[in-house]
Amino acid sequence: MSQRGKRRSVFGRIRGSPYLFILPALVGLVFMVLYPFAFNIFITFTNMNIYHVRPCADIFAQATTGNSCYTINTDLFKNFVFVLTDPAFVQIMENSVIWTFSNVIPTVGLGLVLAFVLNSKVRGKTIYRLFMIVPWAMPSFITLLVWKGMYNYQYGIINALLSEIHIPSINWLESSNCFNPFLAIVIANIWLGYPFMMIIFSGALQSIPQELYEAASIDGATGITQMRHVTIPLIRPTIIVALLLGSIWTFNNFNSAYLITGGGPGICTTIFITQAYNQAFSYFSFAIAGTYAVIAFIILFVPGIFWTRYTGLTRSAA
Amino acid sequence: MKSRSVTARTVRRVASTIVKHAFLILMALISVYPVLWVIAIAFSPGESLSSPTLAFGIIPVPSTFTLVHFSSILSLTVGNGSNFPLWVRNSALITVSSVLGSVALTLPAGYAFSRRKFRGQQASMFSFLLPTMFPGVVTIIPQFLLFSTLHLVNTFFAVIIPYMVGSLSLSIFIMKSAFDSIPREIDEAAMIDGAGELRIFTRMLLPLTLPSIATVSLWAFMGSWLDWALAHVMLQDNSLWTLPLALYAFLQSNYSYYGSFSAMALVMAVPVFIVFIVFQKYLVTGLTAGSVKG
Repeated sequence: MSQRGKRRSVFGRIRGSPYLFILPALVGLVFMVLYPFAFNIFITFTNMNIYHVRPCADIFAQATTGNSCYTINTDLFKNFVFVLTDPAFVQIMENSVIWTFSNVIPTVGLGLVLAFVLNSKVRGKTIYRLFMIVPWAMPSFITLLVWKGMYNYQYGIINALLSEIHIPSINWLESSNCFNPFLAIVIANIWLGYPFMMIIFSGALQSIPQELYEAASIDGATGITQMRHVTIPLIRPTIIVALLLGSIWTFNNFNSAYLITGGGPGICTTIFITQAYNQAFSYFSFAIAGTYAVIAFIILFVPGIFWTRYTGLTRSAA
Repeated sequence: MKSRSVTARTVRRVASTIVKHAFLILMALISVYPVLWVIAIAFSPGESLSSPTLAFGIIPVPSTFTLVHFSSILSLTVGNGSNFPLWVRNSALITVSSVLGSVALTLPAGYAFSRRKFRGQQASMFSFLLPTMFPGVVTIIPQFLLFSTLHLVNTFFAVIIPYMVGSLSLSIFIMKSAFDSIPREIDEAAMIDGAGELRIFTRMLLPLTLPSIATVSLWAFMGSWLDWALAHVMLQDNSLWTLPLALYAFLQSNYSYYGSFSAMALVMAVPVFIVFIVFQKYLVTGLTAGSVKG
């Protein structure tokens, strides 16, 4: 009896406190994500960099040279003006947009095709799938360095193969036209990205009940018709999620552009995220890096909201 | 007449099978090709990218098979006796703590979001999605300042805590949708039988969500085992290095040690690959949460 009563009381206590359940995660989120986020917004209004690391006692004072502390800029939006009027900004923005689309569309397309092929009657599916998750399962900073070696003008295997079929060597990474280096990082990044899409779409295809196809064939629908009226409508939600999430991830993807070309030559392959990283860790202009991050957030907020709305992620089931 | 159409169909089927396999073999080759280089360099003598020889003019193979790089990374010592076993231990310790921590944060939160209705639920769920839309690399600076105020830089806490939180925005929703997919009638039936909530949670719900817990663990594992950027900032002392930091060091000196680099890269990649094979089925469970319902 007492045992039972005790259990009830535990039950009652826990029942009344969903906040207690989310508290640990929320504390982590606040300190590791929301605080850095707010801090980043705050420093966009300051002159913080490697020489001005700590806040001044009088943070609203005019910045004086020789101080090792940072103050709020008299002209509040100085950093935004600096970034947005930077002659490089337009190209970086262009690069980021082209980068995102030229990666997401082929990875989603290739992932879809492979998922369809592997979902059809074909032998050795498991083996093929195993080989094809290698790009995803290998640490990307290792494989990207290999790609960099393969693109090498003199010693790289890609040019060696091209010369086998009598195509002159291509200067992949140091070409003065931006097309070659950009194509190089896009190819490597598609290689990295398609296995994930393939697995997502395989999952979606497998979750379509077989009865639907049977019903469709009884109604006389075959091949293309089945595809149009059964398969496509049922996996469309997954495709949309893959496109949205893929765009956000690709826009924020830093490894490929940074490790293969370092954003160069010039700013040929510099995208938003590598620019933010360089500002922070090469030039140590923390305020400018923060400004790039805030602008990136404003851009990503739109697909982010679409994704949230579309999937109903924050909708409660109750 | 009939036999001819049957032959035509057979020919078409055979042709389509050949095309399919040709495509799949090509993609499989492209997928593993860069990794073949890592393997060939790791088992060839010399520290150069071009140590392997090419079979058929394209497939890299070790010029002479040797384990010298593996034995050299085992005997490598940096600073005051920091060595390979120590870095493996550091990496393992950090990764295990991060994975356990991440699951511990995710489970109760996912449960509450799925089974409860409370004030501020929408807002807090949305705030967990924010990190997806924010470039992660720039949060390193405020995190560093925070940890240096707390005197935690150069301790494992400075990486474990961010890793625990790092995958939260994905994993909470993976867990929420896992709990969503379990009918509430199960809870109610157990409640009528007099089981407390804690008991329902541990005995009934938890076993049913194991695939999703595996997915959450996998994402946390990847985030901490492979991370270089955060560890590079937080762990400066070489006795605290993780494997990616040690790996990076091979390419940092004037001369790049690609042989040793590849050997260590393989050692690092093998656990990831094993985890991937074991969890293949669960990899994307709940990733497209909600999308199936439209």
